[in-house]
Amino acid sequence: MPLAGLLLLPFIGSLLSAILPTRARTVLAGWAGLVSTAAAAWVLLLFPRVKGGGVLRQEIEWLPSAGLNLILRVDGLAWMFALLVTVGGALICLYARYYMSPDDPVARFYSCFLAFMGAMLGLVLSGNLVQLVLFWELTSLVSFLLIGYWHHRVDARRGARMALSVTALGGLALLGGVIVLGHIVGSYELERILASGEQIRAHRLYPVALLLVLLGAFTKSAQVPFHIWLPRAMVAPTPASAYLHSATMVKAGVFLLARLWLVLSGTELWFWLVGGVGTLTLLLGAYIAMFQHDLKRVLAYSTISHLGLITLLLGLNSSLAAVAAVFHIMNHATFKASLFMAAGIVDHETGTRDIRRLSGLIHAMPITGALALVASASMAGVPLLNGFLSKEMFFAETVFLSSHPWLEVSLPIAATVAGVFAVVYSLRFGYDVFFGAATSRLPRKPEEPPRWMRIPIDLLVLICLVVGVAPARAIGPSLAAAAAPVVGGELPEYDLALWHGFNAPFVMSLIAIAGGVLLHRLLRRAQRQGRFNEVPLLARVNGRRAFESLLVGLTRLSRAALRVVATRRLQPQMFAIIAVAVLLGSASFRGLPLTWGHRERLPASPAFALFWGIGMACALGVAISGKFHRVVALILMSGAGLVTCLTFAWFSAPDLALTQLVVEVVTTMLFLLGLRWLPMRLEEAHRSVGLRTTGRRARDLMLALATGCGLSALSYALLTRPAPQSISPFFLHRALPEGGGANVVNVMLVDFRALDTIGEITVLGAVALTVFALLRRFRPPAESIDRPHQQQALPADVVTDLVNPRATDDIGRGYLMVPAIISRWLLPVALLVAVHLLLRGHNEPGGGFVAGLIVAVALIMQYLVFGTHWVEARVKLLPLRWIGAGLLLAVMTGLGALAAGYPFLTTHTLHATLPVIGEVHLPSATFFDLGVFAVVVGATLLILTALAHQSVRAHRRPGARGQRSSAAEAS
Amino acid sequence: MKPELAHLIVVPIVLPLLVTALLLLLGARRRRLGSLIHVGAALANLLVALEILRRIHADGLPGAVKVYLAGNWPAHFGIVLVADRLSALMLVLTGVVGLAAAVYSSAAWGRVSVFFFPLFQIQLMGLNGAFLTGDLFNLFVFFEVLLAASYGLQLHGSGRSRVRAGLHYIAVNLLASALFLVGLAILYGILGTLSMADIALKVPRVPQSDRGLLHAGAAILAVAFFTKAAMWPLGSWLVPAYRTASAPVGAIFALMTKVGVYTLLRLSTLLFSSSAGPSAHLGGAVLLYGGLSTIGFGALGLMASLRLGRIAGFSILVSSGTLLAAIGVGEASVTSAALYYLLSATLAASALFLLVELVERAASGEESPLRYAQLELDEDTNLDDAEAALVGRDIPVSLALLGLAFMACVLIVSGLPPLSGFVAKLQLMMALFNPGGAQVAHEPTAVTWCFCGLLLLSGLSATVSLSRAGIQQVWSTADHPARRWKVVEVAPVLALISAAGWLTLSAEPVLHYTRAAAEALYDPRGYVEAVLSTKPVPGPASGAGEEEAP
Amino acid sequence: MEAVLALVIGVLGGAAVWLVLRPRTFQVLLGLALFSYAVNLFIFSMGSLFIGKPPIVAAELAPDLEHYTDPMPQALVLTAIVIGFATTALFLVVLLAARGLSGTDHVDGTKEQR
Repeated sequence: MPLAGLLLLPFIGSLLSAILPTRARTVLAGWAGLVSTAAAAWVLLLFPRVKGGGVLRQEIEWLPSAGLNLILRVDGLAWMFALLVTVGGALICLYARYYMSPDDPVARFYSCFLAFMGAMLGLVLSGNLVQLVLFWELTSLVSFLLIGYWHHRVDARRGARMALSVTALGGLALLGGVIVLGHIVGSYELERILASGEQIRAHRLYPVALLLVLLGAFTKSAQVPFHIWLPRAMVAPTPASAYLHSATMVKAGVFLLARLWLVLSGTELWFWLVGGVGTLTLLLGAYIAMFQHDLKRVLAYSTISHLGLITLLLGLNSSLAAVAAVFHIMNHATFKASLFMAAGIVDHETGTRDIRRLSGLIHAMPITGALALVASASMAGVPLLNGFLSKEMFFAETVFLSSHPWLEVSLPIAATVAGVFAVVYSLRFGYDVFFGAATSRLPRKPEEPPRWMRIPIDLLVLICLVVGVAPARAIGPSLAAAAAPVVGGELPEYDLALWHGFNAPFVMSLIAIAGGVLLHRLLRRAQRQGRFNEVPLLARVNGRRAFESLLVGLTRLSRAALRVVATRRLQPQMFAIIAVAVLLGSASFRGLPLTWGHRERLPASPAFALFWGIGMACALGVAISGKFHRVVALILMSGAGLVTCLTFAWFSAPDLALTQLVVEVVTTMLFLLGLRWLPMRLEEAHRSVGLRTTGRRARDLMLALATGCGLSALSYALLTRPAPQSISPFFLHRALPEGGGANVVNVMLVDFRALDTIGEITVLGAVALTVFALLRRFRPPAESIDRPHQQQALPADVVTDLVNPRATDDIGRGYLMVPAIISRWLLPVALLVAVHLLLRGHNEPGGGFVAGLIVAVALIMQYLVFGTHWVEARVKLLPLRWIGAGLLLAVMTGLGALAAGYPFLTTHTLHATLPVIGEVHLPSATFFDLGVFAVVVGATLLILTALAHQSVRAHRRPGARGQRSSAAEAS
Repeated sequence: MKPELAHLIVVPIVLPLLVTALLLLLGARRRRLGSLIHVGAALANLLVALEILRRIHADGLPGAVKVYLAGNWPAHFGIVLVADRLSALMLVLTGVVGLAAAVYSSAAWGRVSVFFFPLFQIQLMGLNGAFLTGDLFNLFVFFEVLLAASYGLQLHGSGRSRVRAGLHYIAVNLLASALFLVGLAILYGILGTLSMADIALKVPRVPQSDRGLLHAGAAILAVAFFTKAAMWPLGSWLVPAYRTASAPVGAIFALMTKVGVYTLLRLSTLLFSSSAGPSAHLGGAVLLYGGLSTIGFGALGLMASLRLGRIAGFSILVSSGTLLAAIGVGEASVTSAALYYLLSATLAASALFLLVELVERAASGEESPLRYAQLELDEDTNLDDAEAALVGRDIPVSLALLGLAFMACVLIVSGLPPLSGFVAKLQLMMALFNPGGAQVAHEPTAVTWCFCGLLLLSGLSATVSLSRAGIQQVWSTADHPARRWKVVEVAPVLALISAAGWLTLSAEPVLHYTRAAAEALYDPRGYVEAVLSTKPVPGPASGAGEEEAP
Repeated sequence: MEAVLALVIGVLGGAAVWLVLRPRTFQVLLGLALFSYAVNLFIFSMGSLFIGKPPIVAAELAPDLEHYTDPMPQALVLTAIVIGFATTALFLVVLLAARGLSGTDHVDGTKEQR
């Protein structure tokens, strides 16, 4: 049967339980239990096939081209872990049914729980390292949700986040390591990798890969210094802790080490890194565990210590040690899970987990107490229990290790010390809680838990006993099956007997137990006297604080860094852009010097030089006077613009000249309308300019000069080159016959490059809309709301619309009589000119754009002299309609060609013979130009009138949003 | 292709324009109709894009290119629209993101101002045009179109911070556009043509004396695109502008930096391909190191920022940095991975921008966003002193959904499994280590290490900062009665995320496609050939172009 | 002649850059406007200078670059002028809005730069 089913089962279960009623705890627990039991049965059935070193394998296509397929692979090791995961899961489900309170929304819990089981299964069954990383991170994520199950508690949020951050760090490192391994081997498939151990260990990148992989394993298995997240994760509901933090998640790290043991181990580096970290963790964890007062924290630190033990065993580079490690993984899972559940029961029944408050519970809950005692004895390594066996194997390994002499002495000692500590914390869990006088100062009256809640513990403790008494029969075969793949097939000599004779390891065990009991008595007395309630020597060290201050520090640091490398101010950004452009531009002449061309120059004409002298003066004048004398700057700028326009005329570009001229007019008008809203700025002559300012100005000046020189050089170099072997002759050639117009520039705009023009008018439209939308919410600055003082200066009795220009309807009393009359007469003339330019545009300078601007100007003139109300009372301008219609016309003209089977924007010329006029050529481009015209009129009017309206509104209601006038516009 | 569908390529440009005109004529009245047209157009846009992609992928040629001669002039002379695999991909991406944002915006945003929908459509037109055009100046025009629209959209709703950010955004972009023109002018001055294909043909033939000028022109042109792609140190404008933009606008903006990236990819591969003689692979180093520094910059920003809006902005910086660097490497395999990354990152970023608004709406009032004060350390709560049996809180379905969506975004942005972000980063790193495929031995260079390290680090900082802000904003608000979200607001987010999910599942075909696209890019002969060989539709016997108007 | 035009473009560009880097919004606006002049002239100068050869084809002249100046740059400049006009107008209005909202005409919307 396909393994995929086994993997999918928990996930499907998870999805289903997510949609089950959220408080139906019995149903949910039943369902989850059913799923995990089924999975467990499935795994058990697989045993015969993996027993003899057989490997089950299923491959699912995902990314074959990248050599990434989902490969499910079951060998002994994977099988053993799968068994732990599924059986543990089944037991926890039963337990959680009674642990979680009736009004807990447990659907979320069970859904996450099953999802986690699935992720864990996926991890252990991966036959592909990338896939392993994938599920690895998945376990981190789901455990994040489980730890944060009580998300309304700040410590739950903190713990969850810390666990996620640390394990995510490890996961990313592991990913890097896997990539490197894949790079070395040329494949990510487990088989290939396991097969090429020699190659990997010999490779130059072996240390890198090893470091990255170990970083992943250590963070997951809570090795020092990454252990900090595990105690904080105890805020998770106890069933979750019992599952994640005893049997499954934290074992993922050591699983990875065991999985890759064959490949990575056997080197000095491995020995020192893995062995060293393992030893450190073993001792530190046990040491801290002795001084904890929270039951779950005692278990957490003891777990850390045991994980250190396993890591150390794997680090010893001896296959026998590896077997011991696998054995201890199993044992630890059994007794630690039962202990967690016992702690949960105690918490559940008494309402506290504080060892200092608990005592003598054996009277209230004899059976639970007995179970807990057996389990903690097993944890302490008392004979006749499974913990003893693997611990003795461990002692044996430390004794018979052959390495540096000092190590051969110190390692057994360290092991024994750790053993002593282990006995102490086991006693603190077992003895302190259950023995001594029964206390009455408890939140709740303790009693035996519901019978079913205890069943899981019964089973686990039973396993501890059976394995402890008859190891060879009970666990022998499965251990062999599990350990074989780790050490690469052939198992070393070992026997699972209770009694190996009175040898060193046995002595060590005795010492550990005796010393432990003794130390425990001392500690107990000391703590009675109120000493040693903090962890001695390490009281200052606080994992969470360290972690969070690290984060805060990082945040602060990056803020500071950001202040250096980024800016919220505009000037540095502009400077950067220009500077980079200048730099890259000049850098590209490295090795390719810039040379002038040999095209024969045009003779310089003094007149041209002269009026450009003026032009340049204007430009510089703008630069200088821009800050304080806006109007002056404006005039000077239009001067420069005018000269530009003359240049176009001079060098045979009539169209440009015409357009530039009209644009000049409109732009100036805009600026004049806008200037009114800018603040008065007086020259602070006396204020001395700071040094920094001077420096900045100097810097800007340098850049300006550089840019100027650069532009000059570029344009001179290009001007002196012969005209490019351009494509333009084609246009000159085709303009009249195919474009239907003599004015090539215009033909290009409406025909050759009509798409550009479409875009261009779209831009115009978009800008107009933006301007309008923005001005509707325009809030004029406070000081510029009331009338300019020139107007206020007038005596009140003067009857003129100067006092309140907007109130007048009859310009007869107006102060602009003459211009009024003129512009009124000018309007039709202007319109006529516009039409003329529009129509002839195709053959002579002109065109829709210019015409449109002229009309707009003519109309805005009316606004200027008659005031807004007067105009809008008489002519109803709907600029938006103009824009819309224009766009529509232009596009439709373009689409017309499609009907004839030609591409978009193909032009056609209609030849008709009219009675009087005679032969006329009407290129479809004319309609296109008409569209352009309409858009230009609409957009320009919209912008100008929107600005013009401001003064009206600002006076009608200071600082008001003038919906009325604009709404009149919009509709 | 079938004649009646020959004009398909121009539709992505014409359709939004028509809709714009229609909406304008519709005016302020008939809002519902307006938003219906708006959404319908976005949908049609997506469908057309998909169809184009299907057709291009259908004829399995390596350099599958569809050419459209606008105005029926030969490629050098008129403006030519070119749809190859890359363009089609970008069109589809635009369609997806555009549709999502359009649906989202149909809820309320149209009501804020009459011009939201038209500007949005113009934005779409600009994006599509920029991806389709094969003419340098026309590219400029379409850039201006999409920028002009983006100014309007960014400023949409006004307000002090928005306008301030908008001022910077506009100033920077105007400057960049000016540089664009300068560079373009130089290229024309040297080569005398604007059609990209023609340029690609002429670049190798440029005399040595002019080559310096050519490179200078290209460099100045590139600076414009660097700015628009927000390469460090030219990218400081991005975060404020995007953060202040309204949600649907932010979503569509997530695509805008990608236009700069797309253009750089297109031009660098087309103009300075390995067949470009002395100018081959011009500026690759600049792209690479600029990109790497941008990733670093983005990672710093992620680490530094606590507000979701800013985080989203910086995640955009990270992604565009990654893309720039990947292009800079100049290997087809890396580029193909980068294209996949582009899809996944853009989808995630858009979803994130939509989410941020929803989340902040939920959080508004009760939960003030994370402050530094809350970062300060406080006492350790060791035991459960409450002594009350712990009872979990309900999470309303809507909020749970939101939380899951947010989590998905986090996964994709930071490249954690199992979603597309992971696949993308994996592909990138694999390609970096073995550009020639897993079997070909290749010694990883310092750049490889640096790039991969930055990828992982940026992922980590994204995880840390997003989880920090997310826990604060999503989980903490779970206690408060969740706000009502309209379906049309939540649906697009889920759609975008499920699109990313789809990318993950069908990674194989997608990567197959991107690989084909990348290979076509690095061997531009097919492109040039196809463009220059396309003949205009001949006129009837009466003579070229002189036929009666229909 | 070419030298004069090149010089002019340089001066315009330099002045524009100086203005663009100033702290007052209005100066930036002027700068951008000046820059567009410079750029337009720059593009225009690509077609190299001719006097009295407008690209308006007449029957008697052979349509080639001997008798007409290159129309392409002119077409480009024309489009550039229009777009420049639009963006200038936009920037002006945004500038006004910023002024109204922030109460200052500093580019960063703050009274004095930090």
